[in-house]
Amino acid sequence: MTSRQLMHRSEVAVSVELETPGMTLNIGPQHPSTHGVLRLVAKISGERIHEIEPVIGYMHRGYEKLSEVRTYAQITALVNRIDWVAGFANEVPFILGVEKLVGVEAPERAQWIRLILTELARISSHLVFMCSFPLELGASTPLMHMLRDREHILELIEDVTGGRFHPNFNRVGGVKPAYGGGSKTKKQSMDLPAGFFKRTLKAMDLMDQTCEDIDTLVTGNELVRARTIGIGVIPAEKAIEYGMSGPNLRASGVAYDLRKVDNYLPYDQIDFDVVTRTGGDSFDRYLVRVGEIRESVKIIRQAVDIIPAGPLQAKVPRVLKVPEGQVYSRAENPKGEFGYYIVSEGGKMPYRLKIRSTSFSNLSILPWILVGQLIPDLVAIMGSLDFVLGDVDR
Amino acid sequence: MNIWLELALTLVVMLVVVLTASLVTIYVELKAGSHMQARIGPYYAGGRWGWAQPLADGAKFLQKEDLAPAKADRPVYRLAPFVVMMSALGIFAVIPLGPDLVGAKLDLGVYFLLAISSFSALGVLMAGWSSANKYSLIGGLRAAAQLIAYEIPLILAVVAVVIQAGTMSLIGIVDAQQATLFTLGGIEVALPFILTGQLVSFFIFMIAAVAELSRIPFDMPIAESELTMGYLTEYTGIRFTMFFLGEYATVVGFSAIAATLYLGGYGAPFLPESMANVAGPAILLLKVSALVFVIIWIRFTWPRLREDQLQSMAWRWLIPISLINIAVIAVFKVAF
Amino acid sequence: MSDQPDAPAEPDTTPLADYAADITERLGAERYTVEFDTARVFVAKDKWVDTINEARGELPFFSWLSAIDWSRETEVGEGVADPDKLEERFEVMCRLSSVTDDKAIIFFATLPKDDATIGSLTATIGGAEWHEREAHEMFGIMFEGNENLVPLYLPDDFIGNPLLKSYPLIAREVKPWPGEVDVEGLPVGDDEGSDDEEGEA
Repeated sequence: MTSRQLMHRSEVAVSVELETPGMTLNIGPQHPSTHGVLRLVAKISGERIHEIEPVIGYMHRGYEKLSEVRTYAQITALVNRIDWVAGFANEVPFILGVEKLVGVEAPERAQWIRLILTELARISSHLVFMCSFPLELGASTPLMHMLRDREHILELIEDVTGGRFHPNFNRVGGVKPAYGGGSKTKKQSMDLPAGFFKRTLKAMDLMDQTCEDIDTLVTGNELVRARTIGIGVIPAEKAIEYGMSGPNLRASGVAYDLRKVDNYLPYDQIDFDVVTRTGGDSFDRYLVRVGEIRESVKIIRQAVDIIPAGPLQAKVPRVLKVPEGQVYSRAENPKGEFGYYIVSEGGKMPYRLKIRSTSFSNLSILPWILVGQLIPDLVAIMGSLDFVLGDVDR
Repeated sequence: MNIWLELALTLVVMLVVVLTASLVTIYVELKAGSHMQARIGPYYAGGRWGWAQPLADGAKFLQKEDLAPAKADRPVYRLAPFVVMMSALGIFAVIPLGPDLVGAKLDLGVYFLLAISSFSALGVLMAGWSSANKYSLIGGLRAAAQLIAYEIPLILAVVAVVIQAGTMSLIGIVDAQQATLFTLGGIEVALPFILTGQLVSFFIFMIAAVAELSRIPFDMPIAESELTMGYLTEYTGIRFTMFFLGEYATVVGFSAIAATLYLGGYGAPFLPESMANVAGPAILLLKVSALVFVIIWIRFTWPRLREDQLQSMAWRWLIPISLINIAVIAVFKVAF
Repeated sequence: MSDQPDAPAEPDTTPLADYAADITERLGAERYTVEFDTARVFVAKDKWVDTINEARGELPFFSWLSAIDWSRETEVGEGVADPDKLEERFEVMCRLSSVTDDKAIIFFATLPKDDATIGSLTATIGGAEWHEREAHEMFGIMFEGNENLVPLYLPDDFIGNPLLKSYPLIAREVKPWPGEVDVEGLPVGDDEGSDDEEGEA
């Protein structure tokens, strides 16, 4: 027994000797803070990271290839599985792009419903961030509170679309009838479920309370501040160079919000602010998201007020052939710029669909930002970037 | 009585008490933590309130295969949980539950306590090193650095108590807190040390104790979001259970030490001498429960610190403050 | 064919079209098209890196980089509208946008199939690395100057470039997709009165 084990011990000693200048630590693909299947190969000495190589693709599902053999209507079912915590927000830019190509515009009411659901998806996605970010820092309580409160939002989404995560609710030229009967039933039953706006407003009041909870549980917590302020600072020009968008970019002081910049959905009729911070550190990225939940609540309150009555579906041919053309359509996803480059060759299916997913670009900064950090800071920074692996790998 | 019989009896009673206390602590953490987190927690096990959940968990762990990684240093790997468990149980040998209800009446009880409680660092380091896992190694080294750093403020906080009590015997310290300080309207008033000048050292002791326990906000050795489970990563089944039980036994143990040193131990105001052995355990239990609850409460309130922040907190704040505290206590002791 | 029309799909009156015309002239690009609010500027392959670096002065935000495989024959999907007129080639595209307003240009470069090589943007745009690696493994396009063109998504021993039109979708070959049968038909306007979905599907 002893000889074998002595050999083991000597082997261990030798390999440690050799690796001392840079022990390689394999973080992931199964690791609690990689949100699924991200793998980071880190060269560390002590706890300091000298070199890091992110390895992605463990969840690559080939959506761009699959899209080439699916009709436009089928693709919406595919794309809301990209960033699954905000499924609805993924469908919107795609469907807007196809509508541009076809040359139809959804009726006003449908646009407003899309807007409300996008903002609900944004709140739900940011609440997931409020779960995971403190959890990476070791605080498990916000997780439970935020998941509980997210349920109110998911219930609303489910009421309208029938799905909590994967609504598949958008149609070219409108939105899906809320109740399954389709066009056979009466017009009223195709609209939003009864009492939806009342419940939405009630949920928004709850969200106000949730924001208070977040502030008392997390924002004011000294240890959270000690762990995140000044950690993982991304200057604006680096963020722009790496194509970071959304809250991550706005935390670096760039007020770039597609809801203000681009002309899509009736955001121009709504009064809301773009939340920005200037520090660019993990804490600022967190604060921007808290602010965005508040802004989304504001947006939804106004939208519920404004939303006009009317049809939900514009006229489109039954078998949809999209004319030739190429369009890039993007929208402000909870995580940033989410876009589709659609190449249509006049058929029922796109010739090529490039999916510009947000987390992919947001994560591509990892090799730059993580070098020189400590392992605990790695976790804090990754948590603050708010990525979803489905959104990275597609 | 036969000395061997007495020894056996003491051991059995102690084991039962300690294990029950640990299981109850685990249950309280499950349940209280759930309510703090807007959950219900264990519900079905045992029929009501999920009271049997810790037992069910334990039974499950016992059935699990006892795995060791292929490259692990097996003897050390196997021994590590025992070292930790021994350290946890050893604390209880000298904690007095009453004037005569104590495992071993040591004149140097405090010294023994500090020695045996720091023993667990060795077990943790053994576990971290022998697992042949990089996460375990980092966790084990973090634990070693942390336990050494917080041993010092812990000892200094206790030294302040020893100076004030003038004895290193735990029973002596409890007695010193029963001594009449002054008479107010015919009532003899005795106060625990926490109210007579040991407030600062009590807080230092509690902070250091939480750090010794490697619990949030000082749980970097385990840090599941960074190191998966730190030095526990590779452990399964019965050996993991021993670490787990050891942790909670130490939670109870440190709470009992704090209750004895600062909160008057088994003593209570107006308790007749004759009742001390009967009511003592209950009184101590009350104080211990309060402290255990606070430790659990902390866990569900805060995130964890970073390793360097933890070190700077120990060396730059806790140690200087406790040194000043000792000086102040010593001056008062000499002056009065 | 979509990007060979004689004139842009919309008349050059929008601000975006003016801007595209302007930047095409300033950067010395070949031509531009603006359709569906999407401005595309075509640059010569050997001027790719310089043009984009210059354009970043006014359009700093690197949004994405990808490619299109224009192929007469296709193993998957529907193929191009008019295969006979098609010139087989790759198109590499890179989108830059402003971070203050909605100005954005997608730069295109055409690569012949037998020499799919283009300069790498990684020297000045850090974010381009992953996008170039993706385009490399999906289309087989070489980016000269990107030292780290290892597969991003696929396993190391994977053979082939999946997004090429000549690359079959194995799953579809093995088990044909039922197509539109299992999905609801696209909705029609409500004013048609009696619509009978089952009948038409």
